[in-house]
Amino acid sequence: MSTATSDVTKPLDTIVGGPVPVKRRRRSKHRPAWEEPAGPVGLAVKGIALTVVAGVVLIPLYSIVLTSMSSKATISAAGGMVFVPGEITFDAYVQLVNGGVVGRAALVSIGITVVGTIISTIVSAMAAYGLSRPGTLWHRPILFVFLVTMFFGAGLIPTYLWVSNLGLINSYWALILPGAVSAFNVLIMRNFFMGIDGGILEAARIDGASDARILWQIVMPISKAVTAVIALFYGVGYWNAFFNAVLYIRDTEKWPLQMVLRAYVLQGQPIPGSGGTSVDVATGDIASLSVKMAVMVLALVPVLVVYPFVQRHFTKGIIFGAIKG
Amino acid sequence: MKTSPDRQPLTQAPIHRRSFLGMLAAGAAVIGVPSLLSACGGTASTGSSNAGGVALTSDHLPTYVPITYVEPDYPSVNGSVPGFETIPTELVQSIKAPPGKGSSFTAMTPLWGTPPPTSGNAYYAAVDEMLGSTLKFQIADGNEYGTVLATALAAPKDLPDWVSVPTWNIPPRFATEVVPNVFQDITQYVSGDKIKKWPNLANIPTAAWKYSSFDGKVYGLPFPTGVINDAIFYRDDVLTGLGITPDVTNGQDLIDLMVEVTDPATKRYGAHDMWTAATIIHGVVPKWKVGDDGQLLHRVETEEYRAALEWNAAVFASGAVHPDVDNTWAKQLFWDGEVVILNDGIGSWHENLAQMLSTNPTWSQKPFAPFGADGGEPTYFKGNPCNIFSFLKKTDDEDRILELLDLANVIAAPFGTVEFDLIANGVEGVHYERGADGLPVPTDLAKTELQPTYMFLVDGPETNARVQYPGFVKASSEFSQLAAGYAEEPVFWGLQISEPDQYASIGQPFEDLEKDISRGRKSITDLDAAVATWKSAGGDELRGFYQHLLDES
Amino acid sequence: MSTTTEAKAPEPAGVAASTSSTRKPRPAVRKIKLSTRLKRDRSMLLMTLPAVLLLVVFAYIPMMGNVIAWQKFSPYTGFFFSPWVGWENFVRVFSNPQFLNAVENTLFITLFQIVFYFPVPIVLALLLNSVLSPRLKTSIQAIVYLPHFFSWVLVITIFQQMFGGAGLISQALRAAGREPLTIMSNPDTFLVLVTSQAIWKDAGWGIIIFLAALSTVDPSQYEAAAVDGAGKWRRMWHITLPALRPVIILLLILRLGDALTVGFEQLYLQRDAVGAARSEVIDTYVYFQGVQYGDWGFAAAAGLMKGVVSLALVLGANKLAHVFGEAGVYKKS
Repeated sequence: MSTATSDVTKPLDTIVGGPVPVKRRRRSKHRPAWEEPAGPVGLAVKGIALTVVAGVVLIPLYSIVLTSMSSKATISAAGGMVFVPGEITFDAYVQLVNGGVVGRAALVSIGITVVGTIISTIVSAMAAYGLSRPGTLWHRPILFVFLVTMFFGAGLIPTYLWVSNLGLINSYWALILPGAVSAFNVLIMRNFFMGIDGGILEAARIDGASDARILWQIVMPISKAVTAVIALFYGVGYWNAFFNAVLYIRDTEKWPLQMVLRAYVLQGQPIPGSGGTSVDVATGDIASLSVKMAVMVLALVPVLVVYPFVQRHFTKGIIFGAIKG
Repeated sequence: MKTSPDRQPLTQAPIHRRSFLGMLAAGAAVIGVPSLLSACGGTASTGSSNAGGVALTSDHLPTYVPITYVEPDYPSVNGSVPGFETIPTELVQSIKAPPGKGSSFTAMTPLWGTPPPTSGNAYYAAVDEMLGSTLKFQIADGNEYGTVLATALAAPKDLPDWVSVPTWNIPPRFATEVVPNVFQDITQYVSGDKIKKWPNLANIPTAAWKYSSFDGKVYGLPFPTGVINDAIFYRDDVLTGLGITPDVTNGQDLIDLMVEVTDPATKRYGAHDMWTAATIIHGVVPKWKVGDDGQLLHRVETEEYRAALEWNAAVFASGAVHPDVDNTWAKQLFWDGEVVILNDGIGSWHENLAQMLSTNPTWSQKPFAPFGADGGEPTYFKGNPCNIFSFLKKTDDEDRILELLDLANVIAAPFGTVEFDLIANGVEGVHYERGADGLPVPTDLAKTELQPTYMFLVDGPETNARVQYPGFVKASSEFSQLAAGYAEEPVFWGLQISEPDQYASIGQPFEDLEKDISRGRKSITDLDAAVATWKSAGGDELRGFYQHLLDES
Repeated sequence: MSTTTEAKAPEPAGVAASTSSTRKPRPAVRKIKLSTRLKRDRSMLLMTLPAVLLLVVFAYIPMMGNVIAWQKFSPYTGFFFSPWVGWENFVRVFSNPQFLNAVENTLFITLFQIVFYFPVPIVLALLLNSVLSPRLKTSIQAIVYLPHFFSWVLVITIFQQMFGGAGLISQALRAAGREPLTIMSNPDTFLVLVTSQAIWKDAGWGIIIFLAALSTVDPSQYEAAAVDGAGKWRRMWHITLPALRPVIILLLILRLGDALTVGFEQLYLQRDAVGAARSEVIDTYVYFQGVQYGDWGFAAAAGLMKGVVSLALVLGANKLAHVFGEAGVYKKS
């Protein structure tokens, strides 16, 4: 359901060019004149509902972050997950940063995400631009090539056999290439590019600019929003990818973070000690639970860091591609 | 399972191997060894073997030429692991010069721990130098090894030159499709007296070679194991603290003790899932039993199995089982003292010592002396002659096969040799320093670089020389000797049988049933229905298949 | 693999857009010679090349690999030498109780989610739409969208830490002398668990399209109704919900088209804890039969059956979506 976004009204209408809804003048902040003021009960119910909704998302995150920063004593006192802050320590993170399986996996994940996102976004933007001028040669058959993949997947078994035939087993490329192009994302970008004022592009072309140059210097700069959103989609996909690693990666050394998360946090295997540290996870001063939660936080952080910057673009970026038409 | 200073093996013998045996005990649901023995059939059998791929002759097997460099203080009794109280000061160099030709090979092994760096690793470099060739490891997570192996075998092109295969990870169709298509038949190199070219391989007992044979041909290089795999352990230190001296001679005693030590207020529980313990004390066969009338009975049809289920259900019903039994690793709870009694692999014993002694000097665990559920004599069914073997990738290049066998001969060097010592402890001054007592003390570098990997390819007969834990060799060797005294060979012991494919999954429901009945979610009467289903789903035909094998031999 | 679920839902709208827009401007292109066009459009074609190549290699060639469904395939003999067995694999698939169990679970999970998951985003959207302060509204939106970007591993781990036998809630229950929760490992309540996880992860993201639909309602309608004396609830019943109806129908159809795909990773990750009897779905079944048990032809046949049925459903749903799309929300302009 990766379609529209927040308060969709303005961008949708301005871009699509539909009838702009009559702008209501709003009194007492944002309420239209005709709307009766909410009663205290209604307000309370609404307030509670919203708090619950936000709480359902935030409380687990809060407890996870807090537990990851709690000392062993606090965790034992709480009997497990910590809800009331006690003694705060960052030992669990020190432990992770010092290397070992988790640190290595984080590096692997970062590498795959960065390389994969760059490749995917560039390839998709190029394809989207290449398809954005109707009437170019073989335009429709090429478009069809993209569309078919959205309706019919090859299936896990043939894909697996083929990828292993290509010799990609145990290679990071097996985590990147098979899912590098999402036809859906290409189409979103294409639709956005098609909405760009053709006059500017035509002018540049007459001035002798190559298509590559037009894409790079004119189209991309005005398409930052959609690019950001598409890059986020790809990036999150790579960061979260788990099953491809189950299929294609043999060495534990090459595990991405999600595999580590599953093995040591979800399945509860003891986290192997990280080489070079004297701190003993299983028995020392650090509770194994706080290390596990620190692994979770590590898996969360990139999403949390990137998300706010991109979130505001959802509106412009996605709604357009999906709802237009 | 983690690296800590004193956990590095003094002897090469299996530190981590035992942890999966521990898992074998703890996580029976995941593993289910007997049902995965092997699978598939239906191909024409060769002249030398029967329908189950079992050889009728033993001509293909290597001659057994035992070597003893050091006399054990606790000799092997009925297959128990020999124990050594001291490390010899003079080590024997069993192979004169590096046998390798400078080639490079890849090897895939499991590891239950932190994978060491595979490049720039001084330990691997030193062993490679001793081998004269380069072994490049692909180390996969032991807990995921079944999946890794299945995916690896499906991509034969990318298969490493040398692949470790734990017997409980053997996928279906292994014997019929995988082995002959993917792996190298080494019979012509190792059969009979030809093995004498590699004395350390000739030192591997015949039973292990037999178990590594498929369809009358030797394919596997074994990692031989002692016959006793599991024990029921208790936290000696905790019981002492409570002022309890355990006196357990039957099943009810054990339940009573578990209830006695349970105290939810202090998060202390008597037990984890005791299913493996239940099968031990009730003498449940691993797979088949010859009934009084000479007919085969499957394990799930036996009285012992039923009694074990009832007993384990009683354990759960007693309230002594830790509430996190299904989502927290048993070992972790045992370490934390939240679970006081645990069934686990014997190897977990010294692993726990390595793990715990540095932070908890008073840590102590002990196994209960073997007892039967009814107070009578227990029956320990022997484990497989080897629980892990390895295979060489099929190749036409005979030189490479011979070179790999040369390397295997080095890796299989037994206790008391220079080769064994280097593989177990690394390089002196780099991976360990001599302590005041002359025992090697691992350095920090050893913690990152030195993990047991070679032994998952091939190993000499198992030995116990963990002299760094005071009293351990004595206690564990004595237990092992005692338990081995009760050891019995189950029918079909040590045979590599290729079960027809269609029966591969009919045993599956019992894994769930064992959990459900134990936890009171289902009753023991559901067992009858499950057995009836099993029979009609092919159980009776499977019995016929095995009966035929039995009659033949 | 991981992007498919994200990509599926809105595609027909996008597809409709692209195909319809390609049709419009087709002037006298035909008359220009191919070589001239090739020269003119060379750079555009080159730009699509990398993406097309990736799709050919990683989507189209594997698609052809489905021929193994008619083979007794073995990786050791390969695509070209494995013997052909006709429809044998398909016959085995349909006579296999485990496969039928997986189909049953798949359908049950889908149905359950349609009933209990589907309405949640609508209610949330209505609730959010009634929030007047834009700042509060955006903040809440930012919060509820967030879990959509978490991996399944993370989501399930979070659930385990909250609702597991050793989780936050069980801890509190135990402290209060009550029995801890068993929902994370109880097969009987697995449907509830799977659906709650889906709601937690994706319901917030699902409100986007409903909010878009709500934003197209002309506020003057509300005003007129209010002037006529219609109260809040009546306005919602008579104006808001009718405005949402086409979107609801559209999404329902799309969901049906996707009925055979229920979160693979979500179920795979919880299969051990709950047992295959309740958690095995077609996708996980295909995986285990193929990759784990090496019955490649059989697994490919099962996967292909799923693909074909899904394709039929998707195409049918797409047709319907076009119909409703014409009459529905987006054609206001």
